[in-house]
Amino acid sequence: MRKKELKLVVTFHTTADAMAMEKAAKDFGLKGRIIPVPRVISSGCGMSWTSDLLEKEQVLAVMEKAGIDVEELHEVLI
Amino acid sequence: MNFMNSKGKLLGLGAICGVIAAALAYFGNPANMAFCIACFIRDTAGALGLHQAEVVQYARPETIGLVIGAFLIAIGTKEYKSTGGSSPMTRFVLGICMMVGALIFLGCPLRMILRMSAGDLNAWVALIGFVLGIVTGVFFLKKGFTLGRAYETQKMSGSVISILALGILILATFTSLLKVSQAGPGSMHAPIILSLIGGLLFGAIAQKSRMCFAGSIRDVVMLKNFDLFFGVLGLFIVMLIYNVVMGKFTIGFDTPGIIAHSDHLWNILGMYIVGFAAVLLGGCPLRQLILAGQGSSDSAITVLGMLIGSAICHNFGLASSGTALNPETQEVVKGAVTANGKVAGIICIVVLFVIAFTNKRKEV
Repeated sequence: MRKKELKLVVTFHTTADAMAMEKAAKDFGLKGRIIPVPRVISSGCGMSWTSDLLEKEQVLAVMEKAGIDVEELHEVLI
Repeated sequence: MNFMNSKGKLLGLGAICGVIAAALAYFGNPANMAFCIACFIRDTAGALGLHQAEVVQYARPETIGLVIGAFLIAIGTKEYKSTGGSSPMTRFVLGICMMVGALIFLGCPLRMILRMSAGDLNAWVALIGFVLGIVTGVFFLKKGFTLGRAYETQKMSGSVISILALGILILATFTSLLKVSQAGPGSMHAPIILSLIGGLLFGAIAQKSRMCFAGSIRDVVMLKNFDLFFGVLGLFIVMLIYNVVMGKFTIGFDTPGIIAHSDHLWNILGMYIVGFAAVLLGGCPLRQLILAGQGSSDSAITVLGMLIGSAICHNFGLASSGTALNPETQEVVKGAVTANGKVAGIICIVVLFVIAFTNKRKEV
């Protein structure tokens, strides 16, 4: 079984924002992926973005450029 | 805490929900309708006199329990959040569509799983439509479909649906104001206290596990993620075992007495509507009740849409009939989809596409 790591998890207000995040990440070469919102978090639209914790600044920068609102930022063992 | 995250745990939680459904079936709920959100909302609408179909009138404590169970656990775990403002009237219409589709098929996604576990091949056929509906919804999600974000509202607002549900329970228990079927599916039910406890437990588990029948397939299709799917699988396995052990497992179409019909096209289209609407709404009928309980007024409006939708279905003859045995001649009378139901189904599909095309995220 894969060892769990502490990751950055970004939740969104809408699924459309999550989809826009996936596209923006591709456009800006940001590492990470869309995952269902981990069950330890109750907020969000059902989908979230996860990246390495070290990528936090880049993630926020890409979201600002793409006009995507952050709902919440979390650090979760995934 | 990470105790809700493994697939094994979700399988187990789904299995517990299966046990609750099996117990309710054992103690009196209709065959293959142990726990059906659409049917139970429809029965509750009948109890309130919103429709006059005498065989489906009973304020189902399970539905009430689901909402209040989700509300209580959300309060207890600090997940209660009063929100609203995400295209409420569009959600109301989607709720109506979801109910029309469900009553054409004769069941919500939860009942589809229960019917599948009892060998009802009609439900397996309907699964095709449900998956196609979800895939259609996912297509629009990828194209930027959104009903807009929800905002935090006054704390009280999110609890209104739970208080109303409690009010219905009090009326049903302590007065004779509500209608109660004397025959048909509405007359078959487990004792009130068992139904209520079953609903409360199911609601609490569904809230914690984020159980969603549409979401489980959406996650598989979109993200190749099987977490939610395992919850559904657990429920299916337990009900399959229950049906086999109790001699209720009958493979076939046109099986009398299980409240189902064998109009394949409309079984597919009915669940297509449900799957499509559920993805646009962000959750199946069960999930809408749970989200309503944990404070979402948007989901509460959707539940009201389903309630009114069920009344529309019975007042305008949209609901299908189930295959039954004529008690006098002992002949099998095939269940059927009504002409009005077919027209309504087509209208719903058109409405879903219009909503899907016209609600898009603004590009920056």
